[in-house]
Amino acid sequence: MESLSPMFGPDLNFPRGLTSARAAEILARDGPNALTPPKSTPEIIKFLKQMVGGFSILLWVGALLCWIAFGIQVAQGVASAFDNLYLGVVLALVVILTGIFAYYQEAKSTNIMASFSKMIPQQALVIRDGEKREVSAEQLVVGDMVEIKGGDRIPADIRLIFAQGCKVDNSSLTGESEPQSRSCDFTHENPLETKNIAFYSTTCLEGTATGMVINTGDQTIIGRIASLASGVGNEKTPIAIEIEHFVHIVAGVAVSIGVLFFIIAVSMKYKVLDSIIFLIGIIVANVPEGLLATVTVSLSLTAKRMAKKNCLVKNLEAVETLGSTSIICSDKTGTLTQNRMTVAHLWFDDQIYSADTSEEQTTQSFDQSSQSWAALSKVVTLCNRAEFKPGQENVPIMKRVVVGDASETALLKFAEVILGDVMGIRKRNRKLAEIPFNSTNKFQLSIHETEDPNDKRFLMVMKGAPERILERCSTIMINGEEQPLDRERAEAFQTAYMELGGLGERVLGFCHLYLPEDEFPDTYPFDTDSMNFPTSNLCFVGLLSMIDPPRSTVPDAVSKCRSAGIKVIMVTGDHPITAKAIAKSVGIISANSETVEDIAKRLNVPVEQVNKEDARAAVINGMELKDMTTEQLDEILINHSEIVFARTSPQQKLIIVEGCQRQDAVVAVTGDGVNDSPALKKADIGIAMGIAGSDAAKNAADMILLDDNFASIVTGVEEGRLIFDNLKKTIAYTLTKNIAELCPFLIYIIASVPLPIGTITILFIDLGTDIIPSVALAYEKAESDIMNRRPRHKKKDRLVNEQLAVYSYLQIGIIQSIGAFLAYFTVYAEQGWLPNTLLGLRVNWEDDYYNDIEDSYGQEWTRYQRTYLQWTGYTAFFVSITIQQVADLIIRKTRRNSIFQQGLLRNKVIWVGIVSQIAIALILSYGLGSVTALNFTPLRVQYWFVAMPYAILIWVYDEIRKLFIRQYPGSWWDKNMYY
Amino acid sequence: MEMNATSGGAEGQREIYHLKPENKDEERAQHSEDEQEKRKEKMGKKTLADVIQEMKTFLWNSEKREFMGRTAQSWGLILLFYLILYMFLAGMFSFCMYGLLLTLSPYTPTYRDRVSPPGVMIRPYLHGFTIAFNVSEPSTWTPYVNSMHHFLQAYDDNIQEEKNIECPAGQYFVQDGAESEERKACQFKRSQLQNCSGIGDPTFGYSTGRPCILLKMNRIVGYRAGYGTPVSVNCAIQKGNESALKSVDFYPGNGTFDLMYYPYYGKLTHVNYTSPLVALHFTDVKKNDFVPIQCRLNGEGIVNDVANDRFLGRITFTLSIRM
Repeated sequence: MESLSPMFGPDLNFPRGLTSARAAEILARDGPNALTPPKSTPEIIKFLKQMVGGFSILLWVGALLCWIAFGIQVAQGVASAFDNLYLGVVLALVVILTGIFAYYQEAKSTNIMASFSKMIPQQALVIRDGEKREVSAEQLVVGDMVEIKGGDRIPADIRLIFAQGCKVDNSSLTGESEPQSRSCDFTHENPLETKNIAFYSTTCLEGTATGMVINTGDQTIIGRIASLASGVGNEKTPIAIEIEHFVHIVAGVAVSIGVLFFIIAVSMKYKVLDSIIFLIGIIVANVPEGLLATVTVSLSLTAKRMAKKNCLVKNLEAVETLGSTSIICSDKTGTLTQNRMTVAHLWFDDQIYSADTSEEQTTQSFDQSSQSWAALSKVVTLCNRAEFKPGQENVPIMKRVVVGDASETALLKFAEVILGDVMGIRKRNRKLAEIPFNSTNKFQLSIHETEDPNDKRFLMVMKGAPERILERCSTIMINGEEQPLDRERAEAFQTAYMELGGLGERVLGFCHLYLPEDEFPDTYPFDTDSMNFPTSNLCFVGLLSMIDPPRSTVPDAVSKCRSAGIKVIMVTGDHPITAKAIAKSVGIISANSETVEDIAKRLNVPVEQVNKEDARAAVINGMELKDMTTEQLDEILINHSEIVFARTSPQQKLIIVEGCQRQDAVVAVTGDGVNDSPALKKADIGIAMGIAGSDAAKNAADMILLDDNFASIVTGVEEGRLIFDNLKKTIAYTLTKNIAELCPFLIYIIASVPLPIGTITILFIDLGTDIIPSVALAYEKAESDIMNRRPRHKKKDRLVNEQLAVYSYLQIGIIQSIGAFLAYFTVYAEQGWLPNTLLGLRVNWEDDYYNDIEDSYGQEWTRYQRTYLQWTGYTAFFVSITIQQVADLIIRKTRRNSIFQQGLLRNKVIWVGIVSQIAIALILSYGLGSVTALNFTPLRVQYWFVAMPYAILIWVYDEIRKLFIRQYPGSWWDKNMYY
Repeated sequence: MEMNATSGGAEGQREIYHLKPENKDEERAQHSEDEQEKRKEKMGKKTLADVIQEMKTFLWNSEKREFMGRTAQSWGLILLFYLILYMFLAGMFSFCMYGLLLTLSPYTPTYRDRVSPPGVMIRPYLHGFTIAFNVSEPSTWTPYVNSMHHFLQAYDDNIQEEKNIECPAGQYFVQDGAESEERKACQFKRSQLQNCSGIGDPTFGYSTGRPCILLKMNRIVGYRAGYGTPVSVNCAIQKGNESALKSVDFYPGNGTFDLMYYPYYGKLTHVNYTSPLVALHFTDVKKNDFVPIQCRLNGEGIVNDVANDRFLGRITFTLSIRM
């Protein structure tokens, strides 16, 4: 970067720039000036992943077995061979369709993002062939001369060769929102520190500059950071781990039962082929085919709900991650605060006044009757270069766009709120001369005519760093009277200054002087260069202090986090005092907790002597952090519950995140700058700011906060926790009926009864009647205040725990099976097949040639008559499961509260689910009962009610379970029965 | 002093967060904490030996005296719980089944809509509907003959005369009275099958290439076949050359099922009931060929053209007679 000079050539002052031809050459060599988007997985790979993920493998195996069985049977000339072919096709279709569905859901949520990352093509003013022209920023090449002015985004990394009052906002790069001036001087070895380089994607706030492009595209500092971010691996989300865990459990159960019964079947002298067909049935019965789709839908429903609350989720799974968050590392500026300077305190007449800093201020209520205030307000109004952009008369003052720096804007708005029509006042007090603020003077000065036509004196107003202003004053205004500035007064000033500074506020001093009429007549030529007017012995008027105030919703949100067991850590580039003040005002450091330094100060002992355990709060400076070992950082993170990291660089954020993750915490990180992207990536959930965030940050993040408001994170957390609870319910609901689907096969193999339920019928439950109800559980309200419990432990609080599986499988599932078997036996018995005849009947029953099997009454049945009866049995079994799933759905609404506490009618979607469930069953039985391929028959009405007692039993039993859980917390019952 | 008070307060406050109405997961979590810790240490460098060790610990944790994560007492309790639960469920299921059986009549099934109209079967039945034999090789047709003899044992004239009564032909043999009352059955003597009775020709014509096949209508409780007109049987080539089947003789009564054999009262009361038969005597069938023959029942209330059920009111079989 330092070896630029040869490229300049002789025409340093009148750059002709590159020739178009040369530019085209370099463009061809270096490529366009744009960041290569992060490598995304090809769509086809994403699609295939959906095809083999989750239960798909198991179902593929099932389909494959089907086709093998089909092949063998065809070779043997079995008439019903094609059933297996169709079943195989159906299974394959199920996998493909659910895969397509999941893919579509993923794609949809990714698309939301695509709209975000689309940028308006940027233009740059470039000098080529000796003339200025506008080109797309992408066309810039190394060596191009570009001109920038206030408001522009810097189109590439640029070394300045000419600058006038140029200030840049490097916040997207460094996180520091303080404007930094830029000049042509080489001031530092480090390119990041030197003043003569402006960086790609930062903005020029004011002034103009001309520079030469030194880096483009991925070679820019930003580009390098962005590629660093893509290097940080993406960890699996907690919910992905949970779902994987759950899939393993279910697949484990399916495979082990399948293999076990395969062995049993073979040793019971079943044919291997038959045993394979049993195996298929067991797999299909065990796998909740629709569940993963349901989970996706539930997550996307929550994502939608969160988007409404300003949390835009990029990755569906991140929905839940937010819920399990145990540490939030939050930015200060913009997230916790309003991201605009606002006047917070005033000091005049030897007294501190507080100003309203809320977002929607329209008036200020402090005492404005003093003459000193009148003088102060005049200085504030006049000694200010900021202006409202025209045409905003109807916009609320606080929302108007201002041209000017942050402090001046704050003062302008403050004055506008109190006095109104600042621009008018300025017009009436015409400005004659002005010295803008600069870092050597540390003051700003202007001279005005007064609006009083009788007063021919000029008014000189000045503002600046309080101590500098005070130096120039000999008097001070008290209650409108000028009084000598004696030691006492000066001390009062010092006290006020210290106090306001201690609040982390930026303090400005204001003074004025009426120039005597005789010395400075009307025509006096003011010259700002020679300063032909007095700049000392002025009259001190007052102090104003400004701060970027916290958002009004934040303190509440932080205390919610507290009660939810979430640690909020502030990470900011700001000064420790400011950071601490904001942390205190939002409750990140609670009112009664102290830092080590506070304790030391209070006890008047050196910091080293303080027992670190006594301090709950800690404010860590970036410099201290730099010298810390990992162990020391861990110690701090463990020992202190309230931590503020100040003066940190965005790189240190990554270190902090890693430290938190070492504590086994699920870490959420907010960020907006490009430099935050590695931390955002590293975090379990990266949260980018929607308004202030850079594209790189948004790309790296899992979630985008549309309103940049910390409080939105908390509502997101609530949604995330709710969905975790509700997914538990959904899974419990879905798993239950798997036992009722599995038992028929087991009984069929062991007791050789006619098959109680067919594989196709099972698919109709899994992918038909059960789908809407299980999604409906996602709409369930929380049972208790979920924000009053600690975040779940990643490794201990599983989505599917032993209790859930055991309760669903071995208790409710068994009850359901029994209810369904009752219906099955009823159908057969009423048709002439008493239960005892059914035992051991299977071989004859399924014999295609045996067309006169006697039933219990001596009647003789053809094969097809038996098959039809078997389908009636399927339908009855199916209907019974459906009816009992209604009860199951109702009990799954709550895990510990009584249904009556939760309210049966509060979640309307549940009722939609129940109605849909029954409607689908009715349609299948009566509407499609004549379609033989589906194996349904129109069922006698009374069979719908056979399983009813068991449905009621399920409800009653679960109420008893919940009652005991509530009555005897911590008891054996609670430990074994609460899932 | 003051410092203590402050930090004490802080402690207290911290505790409040933790004592909020927590769910029970916490205690449970504590329970398995040590295990988790151990596992965590092994994360990342899990070897097979570790896994085996873990499994061993899971199977028998000698420190805590736990078998598969539960102590003996815990296992005892959980097994007791499931014993009680399942016993209750078994009881409830038995009760429901008992209730179900109470609603059923032992004599007549509640519904007969799935078993009617009647299906048809033939004898001999050797697990298939292709009757193929070589006249000159007795071993090829003996199984058929044996099957027929075996089937007709119950129709022996003596047995029939001994057990059953003679009924007036041409009308239903309706026996009113209490449901539980034993019903009389009408005689169907083997001799009524004439040439196919196996009495004159114990080979049922198989030895001469003119085989007999017995046709039987499936029994249905209470079913009055034909609604007043006897159901008759006819046979035809199913597909192909009509000339392959030149003549079939039907016994008895030109291939009808006499009304007196209906209705059937179920096996509990109609103990000695023997289904009426129609013998088909294929006296002139094309030899040395597969001849597909379909025999149909004809009569009121008989359905013989349902595509799905090829045995409803009809039966298809193949004759392959080699000389």
